[in-house]
Amino acid sequence: MGYIKEERPTTIAVEGTWNIGSYHYKGSRLLEEYVKGLKQKKLIGSFCPGCGKVIVPPRNLCGRCHRIMDRRKIVSNRGTITCFIVTPPMEKGKLKVLGMDPVETGLIKEGEVVIPVFVKFDGSDSNTDTILLNADPKAVHIGMRVKVLWAKEPQGALSDFEGVEPV
Amino acid sequence: MKSKSEIVEVQALPFAAGFNWSTGFQMQRFIEELANRKILGAKCPQCGYTYVPPRSRCGKCYAKIGEENLITLSGKGTLVGYTTAYVKLDGQGNFQDLEEPGIIGAIKLENADSTIFMPLEGIKPRDVTEGLRVEVQWREETKGELADIRCFKPA
Amino acid sequence: MRRNVAIIGCGQTKHTSKRRDVNIAEMVSEAVYNALEDAQVSPREVDAFVVGNMQGFGGIAQPEQWLGDSIGAPGKSVIRIATGGTTGGSVGQGSYYTVASGLHDVVVAVAWEKHSDSREAGATTGLLHVGLGNFFHAASYGLSLKNLVATSAVGAAAGVAVYQAVFYMHRSGCSIEHFDMVAAKARRNAAKNKYAHLQWPGCTPEDIAGTEIIAYPFRYGHICPASDGASAIVVAEESLARKKARQPAWFKGLAAFSDEENQLQSENFGGVGVLDPSEQKGCWMSATKAYKMAGIKDPQREIDMAEVYQPFPSQELIFAERLGLFDEGTAWMALEKGETDIDGRMPLDPSGGVNATNAIGSTALQRILECALQIMGKAEEHQVPRKVSNAVAHGWGGVTSYITVTVLGDSPGR
Repeated sequence: MGYIKEERPTTIAVEGTWNIGSYHYKGSRLLEEYVKGLKQKKLIGSFCPGCGKVIVPPRNLCGRCHRIMDRRKIVSNRGTITCFIVTPPMEKGKLKVLGMDPVETGLIKEGEVVIPVFVKFDGSDSNTDTILLNADPKAVHIGMRVKVLWAKEPQGALSDFEGVEPV
Repeated sequence: MKSKSEIVEVQALPFAAGFNWSTGFQMQRFIEELANRKILGAKCPQCGYTYVPPRSRCGKCYAKIGEENLITLSGKGTLVGYTTAYVKLDGQGNFQDLEEPGIIGAIKLENADSTIFMPLEGIKPRDVTEGLRVEVQWREETKGELADIRCFKPA
Repeated sequence: MRRNVAIIGCGQTKHTSKRRDVNIAEMVSEAVYNALEDAQVSPREVDAFVVGNMQGFGGIAQPEQWLGDSIGAPGKSVIRIATGGTTGGSVGQGSYYTVASGLHDVVVAVAWEKHSDSREAGATTGLLHVGLGNFFHAASYGLSLKNLVATSAVGAAAGVAVYQAVFYMHRSGCSIEHFDMVAAKARRNAAKNKYAHLQWPGCTPEDIAGTEIIAYPFRYGHICPASDGASAIVVAEESLARKKARQPAWFKGLAAFSDEENQLQSENFGGVGVLDPSEQKGCWMSATKAYKMAGIKDPQREIDMAEVYQPFPSQELIFAERLGLFDEGTAWMALEKGETDIDGRMPLDPSGGVNATNAIGSTALQRILECALQIMGKAEEHQVPRKVSNAVAHGWGGVTSYITVTVLGDSPGR
């Protein structure tokens, strides 16, 4: 590589840790509502009385017109891909994410291609961030039709929504 | 009528952000000399204000302070303020009573102008007064770490 | 009544991947004293400081308390501003407000980042404890770790920028080759900037295309570095500015608009309210207001150069359009024609930009600083070869949350 390199001397270091895991974060009522819907294989969104926008999962306030979004709307399980990322086949030691090696921890298989996508479900006006499963990476395109892949036995948890797959 | 949400059992994700803060050359010398049971201060070449631990820039007169301005202090000093702790935190957001009250002193070392805050041992809280003469107590085995200064005791 | 305010001096540290020879206070001090020397102002003459770095990064909760003595702050007023990636922009604008309001006459604005103090490489540790707090609550609702790793963390190599890039490519017709061109231009320009980090003299798009894809459409060669460094400017009111600097860089227009919160892991976990991540409404709102304040009616003709906040090459194109410098969806065509090179019709990031140097807190202030250098004629080897009368500096922070746009000029215009 043609980069100009520069070396500087090193002085000793003092160690410390900021233990984020020790904070107690409370859950939100909105997520509670949402996961109850997931248990019934339904996607619940909040609806703005001002601009009519529907956001999935639900929110308290509309970000653009600042009105309270206390109404609810159920959107379709089917939608369209609006954005996507395609990773190269994942290898051990290639990428460290949140301090973990995804392949080493077994979360992602060696050689697996991960496709995070934004999906606009029919009836929703927001992008939902999820992953595309059971698809050919080369076939992914903006406008591709997909549907939710539910967990075999929904528990009322975020993991009930495993991802989306091509229709 | 909205119902109260239950406080959900929190699963803590075991992430800790780790840091290794570079000390820079002045602090590096300070920490290294602790192995030799020496406390270094930095004396500003322009106004003479002496900082402990040492710094690279004088906050009073803006002059640069270099390694050549480091001086060795005697380790003896005077108590200019103090407080006593009766509880400590357990890391889960709760207070725990200390077995013995812990005294923390603000100490002005001989030939230094700034104060350092260190635990004070060998004296009861009711006997502590401002102006008390104190002396550094080193760890049994000094390794060149900040913990080499164990505490201070009345001189 | 608002006063006229100008930048009279600039100072930076050399940006590298590891400044382990200094601690944070010493590194920031270098930039401040470089700026004071450039401005010919003594620390005694400074009234106040506006400081900032990315909140939480560097692992120090209140670094401004540590820095005080090292930057000459005792006895002066100090404000700290933190607005994510555009911290530097807000810090620069903060120094403008304190002087324009009449509160102070001479203010130093300094912003920095020291990634090398983190145990994990680059900005990972900083992102960890800033980003993780956003979705820990979701863990209580049965968040699948695999899903989390796949959606947020894999994308964390570049975050929302990747989604932005894909959307822009789809909408405008540009291709990955254009990102190669932008990244190569950034590294070539950075080689002419003695304070920049990734310096690759004569870098070509083919050099960049030779690097592996990290996550389509980004290559390793496209990604910004994680740099250690600080930058500082000295800002003064009109009469002092005219006395101290031969050609001060005047603040002509500024604005900072935020947009709907777009962080993927907020209270509602996984919903993104804005349908087009490359829409960046806050940017065109800020640009419109800043140009109006500066009296600029036709930015394509009146702006001489721009420093766009572009940690990723796609963002140089997206934001340049949002700043009104090119028609919608055409920035990549101008790039092909060489219009955005240092000697082109509309030079973008002659300093190499964020793509070549990224000490997060400092970067948006560097955009203002670099525009000031160009106006003052002090950019040395990366000086654009034409008179710079109007320049625009842009900063981007959060995901769509924060944008700052600052228009600088060679005269106050009022």
